[in-house]
Amino acid sequence: MSSEGRVSEFITGFLAEAGELLALANSSLLTAETSARGGGASPRAVREAFRALHTIKGLAAMVGVEPIVALAHRMESLLRAADQGVTRLTTDGIDALLQGVRAIEQRVQALRLGKQVPDAPAAILTRLEAIEAGPAATPAPPEAHLDLEPALLARLAPMDRDQLLQGLAKGLHALRADFTPTPEKAAAGVNITSVREQLKARVEIVKVIPVSVPATAETPAGLTFAILLLAAFEPDQLAAFAPQAGLAVRTLSAAPAPPPAEPELELEEEDTGARPGVVRVEVSRLDDAMERLSALIVTRHRLARAVADLAATGVDVRPLTRILAENARQLRDLRAAVLNVRMVRVSELLEHVPLLVRGLGRNTGKQVQLVMDAGDAEVDKSVADRLFPAIVHLVRNAVDHAIELAPERRAKGKQEEGLLRIFCLQRGDNQLELSIEDDGRGVDREQVARRAQREVPQTDAALLELLCLPGLSTRDQATTTSGRGMGMDIVHRIAVDELGGELSMTTRPGLGTRFTLRVPLTITIVDAFSFDCAGQRFVAPVSMVEEIIEIDPRKLIRGPGKGAGLVQRRGEALPVLQLSSIFNLTSSEPATRAMVIRRAGEATGIAVHRMLGQQEVVVRPMEDALVRVPGVSGATDLGDGRPTLVLDLAALAGTMLGKEAA
Amino acid sequence: MPELLVVDDSKVMRDMIIACLRADPGLRFSHAASGLEAIEQLSLKPFDLVVLDLNMPDIGGIEVVEFIRGQDRLRHLPIVIVTTRGDETSRTRALSAGASRFMVKPFDPQTILAEVRGLLESRIAAQP
Amino acid sequence: MSTLHVVFKVAGNEYALPAGDVLQMESFTAATPVPGTRPWVTGIMQVRGRIVPVLDVRKRFGLPSVEHTVDTRVVVATLGERAVALLVDQAREVLKLEDGQIKPPPEMIAREANGLVKAVAQVGPRLVMLLDFAKLIGEE
Repeated sequence: MSSEGRVSEFITGFLAEAGELLALANSSLLTAETSARGGGASPRAVREAFRALHTIKGLAAMVGVEPIVALAHRMESLLRAADQGVTRLTTDGIDALLQGVRAIEQRVQALRLGKQVPDAPAAILTRLEAIEAGPAATPAPPEAHLDLEPALLARLAPMDRDQLLQGLAKGLHALRADFTPTPEKAAAGVNITSVREQLKARVEIVKVIPVSVPATAETPAGLTFAILLLAAFEPDQLAAFAPQAGLAVRTLSAAPAPPPAEPELELEEEDTGARPGVVRVEVSRLDDAMERLSALIVTRHRLARAVADLAATGVDVRPLTRILAENARQLRDLRAAVLNVRMVRVSELLEHVPLLVRGLGRNTGKQVQLVMDAGDAEVDKSVADRLFPAIVHLVRNAVDHAIELAPERRAKGKQEEGLLRIFCLQRGDNQLELSIEDDGRGVDREQVARRAQREVPQTDAALLELLCLPGLSTRDQATTTSGRGMGMDIVHRIAVDELGGELSMTTRPGLGTRFTLRVPLTITIVDAFSFDCAGQRFVAPVSMVEEIIEIDPRKLIRGPGKGAGLVQRRGEALPVLQLSSIFNLTSSEPATRAMVIRRAGEATGIAVHRMLGQQEVVVRPMEDALVRVPGVSGATDLGDGRPTLVLDLAALAGTMLGKEAA
Repeated sequence: MPELLVVDDSKVMRDMIIACLRADPGLRFSHAASGLEAIEQLSLKPFDLVVLDLNMPDIGGIEVVEFIRGQDRLRHLPIVIVTTRGDETSRTRALSAGASRFMVKPFDPQTILAEVRGLLESRIAAQP
Repeated sequence: MSTLHVVFKVAGNEYALPAGDVLQMESFTAATPVPGTRPWVTGIMQVRGRIVPVLDVRKRFGLPSVEHTVDTRVVVATLGERAVALLVDQAREVLKLEDGQIKPPPEMIAREANGLVKAVAQVGPRLVMLLDFAKLIGEE
């Protein structure tokens, strides 16, 4: 095999990856440009752009495209100088870099079309070089300090330290979360990459430092990662965002260096003490209660069937039927009561918002009047936990970017004090509509379109779509001109992907913007097994499964009914139902695994082809009558954008055995 | 069978390196897409050699080399740096931090294979 | 008075629904089958984070299925709180229909379509049939 032939195989891969990298370079540079225009710097964006170009350069060198290597090299060099403070990156410099990105894009395009790749334009190369030789930057020395042991502090770059201190000054929490990898966690897919991904959605990760520790039972790898980050919420909420990681969280904010007249965000000051008549309950206990209740409901169905059978033999069952009807009502009420315990008031969820707004207002020098009306609306605890970060993002954007400074507002003939309104109402049985509205400058369509490099959107919905592009809004740096800067993709992900709700926006230039989140009041999250049966993927709650056993198809004793059989388990016969038969799925292979469930004290196996994994899933209800079938409790998205059915194995076994008996 | 850890944040680059080294059927491969991921994997399970990029999103290759050399268990693990940064400073820094070999992209498939084989053989020979 | 209608094709015939009742149209990629449903329910799909049934209009009319092509579309329509995706052969047109164009269906068509067509509209040489969406999705 010649090396020539090998390299050409990678051209397609190169084209795909170069596209992504160029998009990253572009968006980073645009972020840097916005900061530069405001007289600031955005080291993170500069570093991102540097990395993207560096990788492009390496790849281009491997596939032998010299003009791209030359361009990327010059650009990388300028960005490195800027990162190290050797050169100050002005809007002019960024403009030259953006020009460079376009030149690379053209050459990638030529490569894609199989055309001759033109040489690197000398004008751009010279311009970049001249800028790099230009004036130096003058970094400002940091003042405050971080509560971090010296060994770790020494491993923080000055830029990282500044970022943490600036975050503290903005009223964020600077935290250290320690993640200790173990073989068990790795096997379950929990590793530093997955933990970072999970956290990245909610917090700003500044730096991850690997720390060697003595190898013990708790730290078998002799390694812990210290994740230094900035968060908008209380430290103890952090662990919940990466539940399987077992994070140890502590705060890095020692006494703030410049003591403010009043305390900053007093988010920690929560009354954990006893309020009269209030009990604090772990959510897992409520889940447990719900689980038991579900079992009770299944038993009731069997009872009803038994009564029907009895009636068929001519027995007078009227008294039994009356009791059954009453029993059904009671169960329904009990279910509602248990669900009710999990509900938290939206007004409670919004409790900390005034402090947040005050802190943001003080930091930006803006005057903001906050009006909140949450009424009596309540949402499930799991919804509230997810919703809160989205609210924080929207409030922060409104104060940081949308509401103007007093002189600007005065000049526009507005009240000096900006108005921020948060209000919500319950729609229908299971929907909360929460709106966050400001009377600020509105979203600048042209600006957003330019940053996203798209056409100017004609509708608010299309504009929101652009705002929610991941590349556009995850940059950390404040953007004073666009009106909306950060985290809209996160808000979108929370509202739409995690909660199965909707996000909408209306904005009027100069008058203000309203974001509306429509989310379900309750969602069900379960720890579930995923498995394959005859080529279709399903999930089922772990809590229903007692054990997973292997079945040897040769040792399966076929029973009289369709698909039912018996296997030996610890010397006893275990009835096994074939999921493929229950669902009329056809497969040439026999099933080799079975999940053992217990119905009314009796163990039953449900046979499937392959077990795939275990994960937490959000169960979305399937309410439409066309698809409401026994044994299917809902659907979930395992990340492929397609629904996967969530099975209620006990109910399935019930319907199957019911069919057999009939 | 010796197992190699290939660390590079570019998937294409990882695939390319592995494709070059696959010419030796006696090698197995794992890969990591970042410096932190590399450190995690190296701490959790034994490897025979690491192929490492210098420029990565979270922590750089030099930091990974320093970390490896700071661990008793990993002190003698061969490290091959494969990077675009061909300048003398990078080379000196990487080698003084403890890298075994330093190769500049674009690399020649035959050369990287020969380097890796050489390192693995001398390692096996050095073991009692 | 005129109303915009989304027009789609099933087995060579043209059908329409008021555009106001149509949430969106998209090409059909796949639906997750749900065992135990009526034969004309292809499965479920996700539309704007919501789980929606996919109804195969051909099968609903008792017509034989055909292979899906690049033209195959789902038209997601709503009725009150419900949303159902209709699987059709083709959908690419929006027509303005005048009230005067819309007539009760000829008896033969009404019978053939099992009462699923509530009106017809003559558009030049074309006959467009207005579907009774409520009846189609089993809402009487």
